[in-house]
Amino acid sequence: MSLSDDPGAEGAATVAEAPAIFRLQNVTKHFGGVTAVEGVDFDLRPGEVHALVGENGAGKSTLMKIVHGLYEPDKGTLDVGGEAVEFSSPRDAEDAGIAMIPQELDLFPDLSVTENLFVGRHRPRTRWGTLDRNAMRAEARERLRSLGVDLDVTTTVKRLSAANQQIVAIARALVGEAKAVVMDEPTASLTEREVQQLFRIISDLTSDGVGVVYISHRLDEIFTISDRITVLRDGHHITTAPANELDAEELVRLMVGRPLNELFTRSPHSSGEVALEVHGLSRAGEFEDVDLVVHQGEIVGLSGLVGAGRSEVAQCIFGIRSPESGEIRVDGEDVRIHSPQAAMERGIFYVPEERRSQGLILPFSIKNNITLSILDRISRFGFVPRAERQTADRFAKNLSIRGAQMSDPVSRLSGGNQQKVVLAKSLAREPSILLLDEPTRGIDVGAKSEIYRLIDELAKEGKAILLISSELEEVLSMSDRVVVMREGEITGEFGRSEANQEVVMTAATGGENRPASDGSGEEASEDE
Amino acid sequence: MSEVRAPTTAEGGTIGAALRRWLVRPEAPALVFLAVLVVAFSLSSNEFLSGSNLESIIVSVAVLGTIALAVNQVILCGEIDISTGSMMGLCAVAAGAVATNTGGLILPLLAGVVVGALAGAVNGILVTLGRIPSIIVTLGMLYALRGVILLVTGGTWITGIPNETRILGTGSMLGIHYPVFVLLILFVVMELISRHSTWGRNVFAVGGNRRASRLAGLPIDRVRFLAFVLVGVFVGIAAVIYLGRAGSVQTNTGTGLELQVVAAVVIGGTSISGGRGSALAALTGAVLIGVILNGLILLGVPGIWQDAVLGALILLAVATDVLRRRLLGDKS
Amino acid sequence: MSAATAVLRRFKFSREMVLLGVLVVLMVVMSLLSPLFLTVGNLLNTSRFFVEVGLMALGMTLIIITGGIDLSVGSNLALVSVAVGFSFAAGLPLPLAIVFGLVVGLAAGLFNGLFITLLDLHPLVVTLGTFALFQGLAYGLSKAEAISDFPDWFAYFGQAYFLNVVPGQLFIFIMAVVVVWLILSRTRFGRYVYAIGNNEEAAHFSGVPVRKVKLALYSGIGLLVGMAAVIYTSRVYTARGDSGLGLELDVISAVVLGGASIYGGSGTIGGTVLGVLIIATLRNGLTLAGVPSTWIVFVLGVLLLVAVFLNEFFRRREE
Repeated sequence: MSLSDDPGAEGAATVAEAPAIFRLQNVTKHFGGVTAVEGVDFDLRPGEVHALVGENGAGKSTLMKIVHGLYEPDKGTLDVGGEAVEFSSPRDAEDAGIAMIPQELDLFPDLSVTENLFVGRHRPRTRWGTLDRNAMRAEARERLRSLGVDLDVTTTVKRLSAANQQIVAIARALVGEAKAVVMDEPTASLTEREVQQLFRIISDLTSDGVGVVYISHRLDEIFTISDRITVLRDGHHITTAPANELDAEELVRLMVGRPLNELFTRSPHSSGEVALEVHGLSRAGEFEDVDLVVHQGEIVGLSGLVGAGRSEVAQCIFGIRSPESGEIRVDGEDVRIHSPQAAMERGIFYVPEERRSQGLILPFSIKNNITLSILDRISRFGFVPRAERQTADRFAKNLSIRGAQMSDPVSRLSGGNQQKVVLAKSLAREPSILLLDEPTRGIDVGAKSEIYRLIDELAKEGKAILLISSELEEVLSMSDRVVVMREGEITGEFGRSEANQEVVMTAATGGENRPASDGSGEEASEDE
Repeated sequence: MSEVRAPTTAEGGTIGAALRRWLVRPEAPALVFLAVLVVAFSLSSNEFLSGSNLESIIVSVAVLGTIALAVNQVILCGEIDISTGSMMGLCAVAAGAVATNTGGLILPLLAGVVVGALAGAVNGILVTLGRIPSIIVTLGMLYALRGVILLVTGGTWITGIPNETRILGTGSMLGIHYPVFVLLILFVVMELISRHSTWGRNVFAVGGNRRASRLAGLPIDRVRFLAFVLVGVFVGIAAVIYLGRAGSVQTNTGTGLELQVVAAVVIGGTSISGGRGSALAALTGAVLIGVILNGLILLGVPGIWQDAVLGALILLAVATDVLRRRLLGDKS
Repeated sequence: MSAATAVLRRFKFSREMVLLGVLVVLMVVMSLLSPLFLTVGNLLNTSRFFVEVGLMALGMTLIIITGGIDLSVGSNLALVSVAVGFSFAAGLPLPLAIVFGLVVGLAAGLFNGLFITLLDLHPLVVTLGTFALFQGLAYGLSKAEAISDFPDWFAYFGQAYFLNVVPGQLFIFIMAVVVVWLILSRTRFGRYVYAIGNNEEAAHFSGVPVRKVKLALYSGIGLLVGMAAVIYTSRVYTARGDSGLGLELDVISAVVLGGASIYGGSGTIGGTVLGVLIIATLRNGLTLAGVPSTWIVFVLGVLLLVAVFLNEFFRRREE
């Protein structure tokens, strides 16, 4: 991708003096015991493209949700156009001129393009007081044309391509007279050409004085289009600098920045036979041609960014989704897994990413959550025996779930203890293949190390473990091998000794230095 | 994280694509089915295609169609209303009582509409403020309103409705009976409201994607409340048509109507989950039911099978809707 | 928590106690309304009615716990009644006709279950359709006639006395209560039902066979409806196409009164049984007092609304 011109230089002079469209100062936000962002400053000037980067969990989306009125900051201020504001809903933010285009777009798929532009907004009216549909259609066409697109504005949105849906979302923001547009991962579903089209649109927007916050993991895009870049890490503001003063390597270093501490030392071990093998697994729109191998006693870390398709692959192996092509082999045997029960019977268990909505039945007691997946094994003629209590106790003890009785509802537990319950449930099944999806997300350090110890022991016992995690340190400390996915494809595979933060991050974000993997041995060019 | 991607298909620009776009409209299957049935019935019975028979079909579904047009809005915004049978009985009682006292058309019509609007408002309040699921609210009201009818009438019928009140049911102009006019006028009104008013557009948004509606700041409770009140108003109008045609009101007037209304809406192509459909779908559904029932009579099928046919049609309609969406690759 | 709620909580101990209290109050009121109410004969007759509603309510409880609903139970009852009566009239020996009826009930429930699980349709819409379909089939097949000449022993189901005092079907009901209670509270199936009602996605992820459970529930209630239909037909000694009209209101109201949340996730057999008792007492007492059936139905309708409202009101307060 070549630069047609350097937006940084040209933009920098004009944007430097203009007052900010909005400004966040010293903003802090907690969720329960977890700090999402702390003491962060961020501002957006008219006519600029300001990129916001950071790893998963760095706080980018929390920050923007505050700007968009979904959250209120615990500390710190937000001002718009120089005046302090407090938004209580996204509507307030939109009225103030701040529009957000989330990754899911938030459109109405069954309504037409015109309708989507005008939902909730002031609509042009006729003399009789009814809606002037011709005027609405004309305005819709006009807006889209100004974005360089010619669409039939009566089409229902769900029939449009992803790129056009996105353009509709942008047009919607503009109908609302937005002065600032926040785009979250806008190019995730776009082709090369569509990305260029988007950039042209963004450039038109900024020359009209609109400010754009561009959240993305694609470093090459960020350098093409942004004027300034802000880096967040672990909820803290690391730096804000003009784009032309940074390069990709430095950016990555700022994003991951800590020296690599071994969070945990793996015990010496040896790997056994191949337990799980996946070959050519594909599911349209989610992942393609995925190959994975996990041996007994081995921990394979599956790294990558949000949306890379890792959970989808794991859920396919566990029978929650079905693959369109490819094979799964357990202990050397070809298997077809149609349901979680079938997967469990093959010795596979999946610990889901969202523990509250997928991993636990919140009103149930700890005991009942732990035994849910083994009821078929422990029950006699369908009846749940008294011994259930002891069985649950046994598994709970292994995980040292503290401060609660087995009969307490899990909704009362801390995040760390809740996760332990989910793990206890999976271990009760005594699986030989364990698929862990973000097992330590949102958990305090103490509980984390306990869970690492547990995972290590499970590997020592000979279990095959696939560890999906977005935390680099975790992946690097725990894994014997690291596999990296990006946008549904495997982009890298590293042994324990070669794996480090930089190579993993670049494989995850698609920067240069993509190592040859699976025969696709092209080297990306040195410069973008 | 597994996020939801907006479903996509490529756009088309050819004639084939235009045809496909028409076929994908919610009313399309019902209209096609209607056309097929009309052809089939007119082939198997000489009387079917006569002007008087066709007109009598529309007259017979005037009451049903009127109410279906409004219940359509309730279903579009994601709720349901199965209290309309009892509501109609109550409105007919109100209109009838006023008619036997004061005569004329305006006052009874007003009485019916006001009573209907009040009943609809009760439904609306219980659903929005009471946060009770609409199926339970309207199920309870279905029975509760029956009791109110009994309370008001004391079990006696209302008879002797004056002729000027009955005009909406019996009168005709240019050789076409008034019920047909009323139905068509209301259809046009509903289409206008649905397409040309903010409320009408919001109904689609609220039923189609409630989460996005909330984020867009739409007044979801108000939208739903008005839909329920609208049902009451249209039921009031339908009650006066009924008065015209039946000439009297019994304590069980309207029993079973609610099911036909929901059937009409669903069979016509409005999706039961909300967000998709149109006034034309409701009208088509009502006419379709009329054609089917009329055709069954002409074919000599005993009337006691009506309910079975209705139920089977509802199941067929929702199953077809699901299958059609799956085949079209609609992942929503 | 406000002072009012705190006071209420102290006195509420458990929902079952409140229901028991309501039942007692209701019985007092009914006996005041009609001297006939508190006679042994009448109470035993009331128990016949509540067995029919009760059997269906047992199945409905589990369905509502999973967040579903079945509006077709009344029509299903009519269909089974017609199936029994008319197959008997067509020459089938009565025991076989009864079995046939049970099979029809089960099949109807299975029909519901298949539509709901295979097509992923909402139970509301499916059972609304089958409500009409089954009713229509009952009418159509019976040609609006009635069958009444059953052999004497058929009355056993509905009218016999055990030990000359206790109605026969009460035993059937008590056994059913025990069985369903055991299933719900002691078996893994019951655990699955609660899991699905509280968080269907997590249940699926935990390996709970969601589809099979739902299929079993809708088929199961079909069987219970079949049993209720046989008892009903025996009690009124007639098989007609309009039997059971409006019974779904009684059944759903009983379950909701008993404390089940209409949104799913909670409910007990004990609560449902008390709910059934209250509704049966209401119906019987008001009928004895000469109140027309439309009024009774009005009361039930209002009761349903009030019960759901209070359920959700207190549930939200507790959060």
